[in-house]
Amino acid sequence: MLSKLRDPSEKTLAVMLLAPAFLLLLMIVVYPIGKLIYNSLYAVDKNGAFLGLQNYLDVLQDPLFWNATKNTLLITVITVPGALIAGLALAMLANLPFKRKWPVRLSLLLPWALPLSFAGLIFAWFFHTEYGVVNDVISRLGLQSEPTSWLLKPNWAFAAICLTVIWKTSSFMALILLAGLQMIPKSLYEAAEVDGASRWQQFWQITIPMLMPSIVVALIFRTITALQTFDIPYTMTRGGPGEATETLAMLIHKYTIDYSDISFGSTLAVFMFVISLFVTGFYLKQIGKNAA
Amino acid sequence: MLRWVAAGMVVVNGFFPAVWILFTSLKSEAELVQKPITWWPAKPMLDNYVRAFTDQPLLTYLKNSLLIACGATVLSLVVAAFAAYAIARLNLKRRQLILTCIVASSMFPLVTLLVPIFETMRTLGWLNTYIALILPYVVLNLPVCTLVLVSFFQSIPRDLENAAMIDGCTRMGALWQVVVPLAAPGVFTAGILAFVNSWDEFLLALSLNSSPAVRTLPVGIALYQGEFTFPWPIISAALIVAIVPVAILIALFQERVVGGLTQGGLKG
Repeated sequence: MLSKLRDPSEKTLAVMLLAPAFLLLLMIVVYPIGKLIYNSLYAVDKNGAFLGLQNYLDVLQDPLFWNATKNTLLITVITVPGALIAGLALAMLANLPFKRKWPVRLSLLLPWALPLSFAGLIFAWFFHTEYGVVNDVISRLGLQSEPTSWLLKPNWAFAAICLTVIWKTSSFMALILLAGLQMIPKSLYEAAEVDGASRWQQFWQITIPMLMPSIVVALIFRTITALQTFDIPYTMTRGGPGEATETLAMLIHKYTIDYSDISFGSTLAVFMFVISLFVTGFYLKQIGKNAA
Repeated sequence: MLRWVAAGMVVVNGFFPAVWILFTSLKSEAELVQKPITWWPAKPMLDNYVRAFTDQPLLTYLKNSLLIACGATVLSLVVAAFAAYAIARLNLKRRQLILTCIVASSMFPLVTLLVPIFETMRTLGWLNTYIALILPYVVLNLPVCTLVLVSFFQSIPRDLENAAMIDGCTRMGALWQVVVPLAAPGVFTAGILAFVNSWDEFLLALSLNSSPAVRTLPVGIALYQGEFTFPWPIISAALIVAIVPVAILIALFQERVVGGLTQGGLKG
């Protein structure tokens, strides 16, 4: 037996090595998905009776659900392209031939390593009505006479949150895109130069097509995380004013943890799961089309 | 000249928030409420740092974050290294499918799993313990760690291992004496990524470990409450304390971090 452990056959070894990973996935991913669906069909908080689709109907009639879905999709639609454009700009700037590479590289890594919740706190301070640096700069430029109450008005709060998300996520985009930029052969640009192509043409004809694989990967990652947005709105506004910046993730957290309504929280989670699947599927289909 | 402007823009974008928080942390409360606001601190002082540690149990949060992040990192590396070695080296029929399963687990929105994970931990009586966060964090880190390690294992020549086995090493002996030392750089890269991921996580830490004694830094600082208003200078000092360790870590090993990130990202 001991000798078998020391020199196991290929198959035994494979099972032994893969077991921990798959046991964890079973406990933290697979079992929870099953439990989620069970929770949504039974009154787990009360008598455990079978409810059928009652929870689902309740969710569909809950205005908070529609509000949170709208906010989540809006944040995704605004911040994903926003972060892509900002990240592409940062990557192109960082790709210039600098003598010392570390200051630029560290400037891209620092926002990536910063916890989302810290970015939320820092930007909440930036957008502070009285003492925030944003209002200070806008006032000094003479663009406003009265300070804007960024986080206290629904639309301004939403804009502030989107800006924060874009700032925080664009540097990861930039790192991925920078790696893609560095793989484009210089000779392509030299050949285009000889043919008399302008910088603008080079950008659209060489850079963007060559960068496409990196862009697609970055977009998928970013969209999946954007749909889960929680930390930044939670630390900046707690979903307020009212529910103006409440996302689906925040609603799930509120029902499950604050109200201890496991059944309703689970049903919301199933909806969110379906929305994520739908969006990811849509992406993959588009990619398939582009590749064909 | 153009290059200086470009570098300046990237550096300001990356550093300005942290620098602004540093300035805020050095200002007195009186200076903070001056209008118009000052940019450079007039009389830099460290009182806010002292109060960050005395008004709130910042040291406890720091300890919790360190232990949870380190525990999750070590466990992630062990689990991922096992799986990655099997995927990279053994004669598996469904190699690609296994890798896809592990990577696809990162596609599931963590928030949707929050409810059942919360229930599980409550049933096991693990709410407000380190293990309640460490286990989900390992799953969170598994895809990127596995991807980085698979490509590292694949880059180690198989002949080296075979030679050791011909010289009388057992398979496990060859793994331990040949593969592990050679894979050390990859393990290190995956480790930094896992550490930063675990250090930054907020939603689970907020939901599963709500009691102040086991709060992590992000949760502890976000739930800081002043007597009347949100104490911005003290928050800023606490943020600086929380940011500096990770900033030093990534500054020292930036090339590795970038390499690991793009490897994990581009292959995913």
